[in-house]
Amino acid sequence: MIDTFAFSQAMGLLFSSIDPWLWVIPGLLIGLIFGSIPGLQISMAMAVFLPVTFGMDFLQAMLFLTSIFTGGAYGGGVTAILMNIPGSSSSIATAFDGYPMARQGKHNEALGLGLAASVVGAFVGYILLLLLIGPLAAFVLKIGPMEMVVVVLWGLTLIATLNDSSLPKGLMAGAFGLMLSQIGMSTTGVMRTTVGNPHLLDGISVVPAMIGIFAASELLRLRGGSYLVQDETQRDISLPKILRGVAETFRHPGVLIRGSLIGAVIGAIPGVGSSVANLVSYGEAKRTSKTPEIFGKGAPDGVIAAESANSSSEGGSMTALLALGIPGGAATAVLLAAFSFHNIIGGPSFIRNQTDIVYSIILGNLGQVVLLAVIGLLMLRVLGMVVRVPLAYLVPSVLAMCAWGGYGITGTIAGPLTVAAFAGLGWLMRRNDYPVAATVIGLLLGRMMEGELVRTLQISGGRPFAYLMERPIAMGLFVVMILVLVGAPLLKSLRRHRQRRTGA
Amino acid sequence: MSARLPATHAALLGIILALSGYIGWSAVQASAKLNNLVVIAPVGAAMLLLAVALIVNALRRPAPEPGETTSVWGDLLLLAGFAVFCYALTHVGFDVATFAFVWAGVVMSGGKGLWQPPLFAALFTLLLVKTFGALFPYPMLTLVL
Repeated sequence: MIDTFAFSQAMGLLFSSIDPWLWVIPGLLIGLIFGSIPGLQISMAMAVFLPVTFGMDFLQAMLFLTSIFTGGAYGGGVTAILMNIPGSSSSIATAFDGYPMARQGKHNEALGLGLAASVVGAFVGYILLLLLIGPLAAFVLKIGPMEMVVVVLWGLTLIATLNDSSLPKGLMAGAFGLMLSQIGMSTTGVMRTTVGNPHLLDGISVVPAMIGIFAASELLRLRGGSYLVQDETQRDISLPKILRGVAETFRHPGVLIRGSLIGAVIGAIPGVGSSVANLVSYGEAKRTSKTPEIFGKGAPDGVIAAESANSSSEGGSMTALLALGIPGGAATAVLLAAFSFHNIIGGPSFIRNQTDIVYSIILGNLGQVVLLAVIGLLMLRVLGMVVRVPLAYLVPSVLAMCAWGGYGITGTIAGPLTVAAFAGLGWLMRRNDYPVAATVIGLLLGRMMEGELVRTLQISGGRPFAYLMERPIAMGLFVVMILVLVGAPLLKSLRRHRQRRTGA
Repeated sequence: MSARLPATHAALLGIILALSGYIGWSAVQASAKLNNLVVIAPVGAAMLLLAVALIVNALRRPAPEPGETTSVWGDLLLLAGFAVFCYALTHVGFDVATFAFVWAGVVMSGGKGLWQPPLFAALFTLLLVKTFGALFPYPMLTLVL
């Protein structure tokens, strides 16, 4: 599985001098800062700093850019926990339980959980990449639109589990998100609902919508309160409590490992990646939990599942880049640009002829993960200060940053206006107990779903079910999905029924 | 009906159905082929059923206790202010719009003192323009800074 000669060469490349590591800590800090500010994307940070890598050698450049990637993935989770603002779509599920924990005064523990789950997730993702880069590349090549449809469907099933009090409200919110995702030019080039506005040609921009519906609407609700954490004694930033959260993570090994595996596999699928991985992982953690009723109210399992999956998907996303030369998302596209800067072409020949470089990138990323644990712990003390800011000052400041973030994404007035419109929608939804996350999931996955469905229909000649039978991976995924969605709850209720009978 | 179905819930359902109806109508007008309606048609049908279920459910329940109306008006005022601020960013300038919104927002959210809110708004705006704004890959209109 591992070419030992290339492995030893990679160790030599990495550890014979300090040069490859010089830019890792600055990269992690840049990633943490960009990831934790709404509107500043990780891919944007990587693009901004791409020219800096021109003067570096290839390995140094790769480690610098991937450290921005690694730091950014965790930074998005920090604001999701502290302010209910997912820095990117890969941190949506982190906010579901992280923010309620913060409101209960458990922000230190939640940050510790998130950090440890991120570190373990990223570690598992890269270990899998190291061991399985060959087979994973073959797997990725066999993924077609039908397989993507099944994966996206799996992500969408989370909608049904988001609102315990009223299933119709959850479904309505999700369906509305799906409907909103259909605005703009369709996959086949048909123009819909643009009302003559050029800003709507590409549809509604998901990140400003997410910032508005999650953050701005929540901030409006917070108005009038004194602090994010009401109890003054719990408003401290405590390293022991953060470390307690870190330790707590390892008391949930099942959730941690399952989340990491889900993230690595889904992350390897180009175009799907961490946005879907964190949702699927969260959904599975809730479905398999013995206490699903505490999810959404501050369950540590929820934070662990989401953060481990979005971090391990980073390793997965590198599979397609290194083994096939295909970028799976915006961040890996910037990495591909760095490849071409240094006259390197990813793909099977890159893995075959420059195995030592491939291994050194993967091993370097494992080193970064360890450094993230240290840097993260130091930075959390600064980032966590937000709970000490009076809400009278925090609410308008973060609202202003939300609008700026919207502009940062789109570069036009459409961004801030999308934030404002979705803030109003989110406020109405929260007042009436509709899960805003369901709308975001629908909006995020709707367009992806449509594109893959249309491609499946075209490839199958209008017979998708017959086509499904010819696709073993899609069929396998479909069977596993049905087993997980229907089989597991059935088994659970049967077991409960049997226990009740024996008890009686 | 309005007693059992709170005004904000009725407004939300109205917005959802009106927007979804328009999106569906617009899509059918653009092209009635399967490829164009593969998501819209089934989701639209499901939404109609869900809307009926939600309305019937709300009407069968006892009327909810009247909520605190002052907080609703306060929220709506801040929301309206936020919408104006978002629009003003590229029309008045990021600096002036941010300064005015943060000052007004601090006062509306209960910030005390005569000089603290404007001082905080000025410092926050300066910080935002010089750091956040410098990272933007787009031109940013400012009036003063």
